[in-house]
Amino acid sequence: MERLRPYLMLSPALLIIMLFFLGGLGVGLMRSLNYMPIIGLTEPNLDAYVGILTDRTFLRSLGLTLYIAIASTAISMTLAVASGLLLRRSFRGKQVMTFLFQLNLPIPHIVGAIGILFLFTQGGFLARAAHAVHLIEQPADFPALVFDRYAIGIIAEYVWKEIPFIGVVVLAILQAVGDEYEALAQTLGANRWQRFRHVLLPLILPGVLSVSVIVLAFTLGAYEIPFMLGRSFPQALPVLAVRSYTDPDLNQRPQAMAMAIVITVFSTLLILAYMELSRRIVRKE
Amino acid sequence: MPRPVALDGCEFDMTQVVLTDLTKKYLGATAPAVDRLNLECESGRLHALLGPSGCGKTTTMKMIAGLLKPNSGDIAFDGASVLHTPAERRGAVMVFQNYLLFPYMSVGENVGFGLKMRGVDKQTIRRRVAEMLELVRLPGIEARRPKQLSGGQQQRVALARALIVQPKVLLLDEPLSNLDAHLRDEMRELIRTIQQQMNITTIFVTHDQEEAVVLADRIALMFDGVLHQVDAPQRFYDGPVSARVARFFGGANFLPGQMHNGQFESRLGCFAVGQGAVLNGPALLTIRPEAIQLCAAESGSQQKNHLPGRIISRLYTGANTRVKVQVNEFTLTVIADPHAVDAARTGDMVTLYLAPERLWTLPIESP
Ligand SMILES: Nc1ncnc2c1ncn2[C@@H]1O[C@H](COP(=O)(O)OP(=O)(O)OP(=O)(O)O)[C@@H](O)[C@H]1O
Ligand SMILES: [Mg+2]
Repeated sequence: MERLRPYLMLSPALLIIMLFFLGGLGVGLMRSLNYMPIIGLTEPNLDAYVGILTDRTFLRSLGLTLYIAIASTAISMTLAVASGLLLRRSFRGKQVMTFLFQLNLPIPHIVGAIGILFLFTQGGFLARAAHAVHLIEQPADFPALVFDRYAIGIIAEYVWKEIPFIGVVVLAILQAVGDEYEALAQTLGANRWQRFRHVLLPLILPGVLSVSVIVLAFTLGAYEIPFMLGRSFPQALPVLAVRSYTDPDLNQRPQAMAMAIVITVFSTLLILAYMELSRRIVRKE
Repeated sequence: MPRPVALDGCEFDMTQVVLTDLTKKYLGATAPAVDRLNLECESGRLHALLGPSGCGKTTTMKMIAGLLKPNSGDIAFDGASVLHTPAERRGAVMVFQNYLLFPYMSVGENVGFGLKMRGVDKQTIRRRVAEMLELVRLPGIEARRPKQLSGGQQQRVALARALIVQPKVLLLDEPLSNLDAHLRDEMRELIRTIQQQMNITTIFVTHDQEEAVVLADRIALMFDGVLHQVDAPQRFYDGPVSARVARFFGGANFLPGQMHNGQFESRLGCFAVGQGAVLNGPALLTIRPEAIQLCAAESGSQQKNHLPGRIISRLYTGANTRVKVQVNEFTLTVIADPHAVDAARTGDMVTLYLAPERLWTLPIESP
């Protein structure tokens, strides 16, 4: 009985995970294999997978999704660590700065996206302001930062939102680590750079990497931001999947499901690879 | 002049440390944490910085190490000010109370850290690490992780990590307070041995007077950021400068009176006094509890330095017995050999003998 206790206590959570995760995934998997006994499809096949994996649109979307996820995770992680290090020092107005730094934590992504639209589109506030002070001849000359080739708008929104998210964790980690390790290293002869490279970084890296994995997973699978700020071609995978799914042509359904499954497998593999890589980095330190 | 001392291929420059009017006031604090501290630490000796919690010991150590900037005053190594030398080039290595082994490194990498920072080649580092681990009596544990070590072992690895860089000054902040009694003895002995072997100028912090006495060549006693007495350990028992110092070292029995031509006059009569911090005028007379001799009631209570009294309590503590004796309105504490006072009962009349050479005068305490 005693041994069963943790399982019993976890059972509600487990149940929900089973139902939604395995259930949903199972149905999706079946659908992607064209296996739907209820409507008489009893012969599973890989047509949907072959279809999407030979489709250049899909492959370009996959590439774009990866690029967005990796770039926004890397940029926000770097900036969050840098700001965490700055906010750790004691200076006048530190509390105000820390508060401002965390201000957009509760703001939803969608609001961030709207803000970016408002500010950065070629008809947006900045374009008009630049035009008003005669920096550019007409608002349309404003550089394309949204709906653009390099997904700058999308990445900017993620970075805007994830810096404080990672930053809060970084601040907590820094607080837990304290400054005695660095003080000790300094008396042992480590200069400023060496203290960062050989002491602080390895101390905070495990925590920073775990939180950035969460960000990576989120940016791989998120729909709304690429939908609002992305170009119409190529689209990020989640956008593509939703579009196929809502297509009036029901034959698109298996392909939409296949995309969802591929996204899932892909993110899982990427996250596993990332975790393995970070483990190696940490161990090597 | 610093003199190099050779030991297993390590050379230590013996360094004299002088603190002059060293003062540190933390931002927002009302009183300075360290107030005009003057201290000279002889080269190659083991010094204890002793005092109750919060008296400014760690603050002083951090200033010597260069981790904290003093508000005023000077720190000199071998006569040259190091105030503007950053910690990483000052050569004063600090060992923290909580060991602080880098958790992501092996023991070997931990010990070799300082040499790696100096760009020493790997082979030399490996050799020196082995030597240092041998020195702290933990040979061959390079590959272990800090987590796999006991507290005592971690402390010794931390010591090896400090010694490998051949510091000019070794600063130990409460090195023993996290260890249990048995390990503490072992570690004390190890610190003492290594320090003597290497003749490395060492300052160690403790709040335990016994530890300071056992380990140190000299003790600097601090209260509230102010240095009260710097002396050889024995002097804190035989010649404290104030009642507060005496109490910190377990002193008791303070009798107010007047000092006059080697005679101390008080409500309990006149005493012949051998020496003291006050030779004339108002003073406190003190005698350590273990210096009082307890005699039978009839043995000459009228003679000089003899006092009649009544036992009001006795407490057996194992190694000795603490007896409280009422003499008029004063209560004197006596620490006696348990066997010698076996027969004495509470309520018994006794005679106390206060030998002149064990008596000592102190300034009257300001209230
Ligand atoms: N960073 C700090 N900011 C403000 N005040 C401090 C700081 N560090 C220490 N103090 C104060 O300075 C005084 C001396 O502190 P310090 O740490 O030097 O004492 P200590 O003798 O080492 O005590 P302990 O035996 O408890 O370690 C204390 O009153 C403490 O509260
Ligand atoms: Mg301290």
